[in-house]
Amino acid sequence: MTTATAQTTQVYQLFIKATPEQIWEGITNPEFTARYFHQARLHITPERYLSQGPDGDTWGDGPVFEYDPPRRLVHEWRSLYDPDLAAEAPSRVSWDIEEQDDGTCLLTVTHDRLEGAPKTAASVSGAGWMGVLSGLKTLLETGEPLS
Amino acid sequence: MVTYSPGMDDDRVFKALADPTRRHLLDRLFERDGRTLTELESELDMTRFGVMKHLRVLEEAGLVVARRQGREKLHHLNPVPLRLIHDRWIDKFTEHRVAALADLKARLEEESA
Repeated sequence: MTTATAQTTQVYQLFIKATPEQIWEGITNPEFTARYFHQARLHITPERYLSQGPDGDTWGDGPVFEYDPPRRLVHEWRSLYDPDLAAEAPSRVSWDIEEQDDGTCLLTVTHDRLEGAPKTAASVSGAGWMGVLSGLKTLLETGEPLS
Repeated sequence: MVTYSPGMDDDRVFKALADPTRRHLLDRLFERDGRTLTELESELDMTRFGVMKHLRVLEEAGLVVARRQGREKLHHLNPVPLRLIHDRWIDKFTEHRVAALADLKARLEEESA
């Protein structure tokens, strides 16, 4: 198995059969995010991104840079759920929702500015974001979270 | 039932993966992402046009996402379609096998009880 240094700009893209509004809801409704985002409840306002674990612990807390429902959300990322990762520099996550003409949307998640956060980069890459996005897709398309 | 958009369906992913040069390109991008055509071309014994053609197939399958950064076009590996295939195909069959073994165990234990 070849290994690589985790990328400082990571791009994840997938089609989801849902409306832009449903996807936006899927990202910003804490009851919904708890079902696919490692049980994290995301509380997102135009100013602030707050992620809480199932026990109410703060897993992420930082500014929202762009808030344009239901098209684009950009916020700071800090991995406060792990002391090693929390000590690293903040990075940035962008969500872009583009409606297609076949009843689907293209969702692109870009996690960048990871230059000062190599451990975070490694921990979110691969299975990290993919598991979250695959779970979001399944939930939106079937109403059932991935078991 | 999970649906797949025609823009990123399994057929395109399997077809894209069926070529050794394209798998090699994915390996190179896995090692280091966000590369230009020129960088990728320098590692392959192939014309620029050939590399472009393969990259286009990978882009159409959703395995590579090209992003403009200033004057450069950077190619990023997008692993999500592979994950979806894994969830759709591989999980399904391994789960089945695990379930079959669990059933067998339950039946044998019942018999011996």
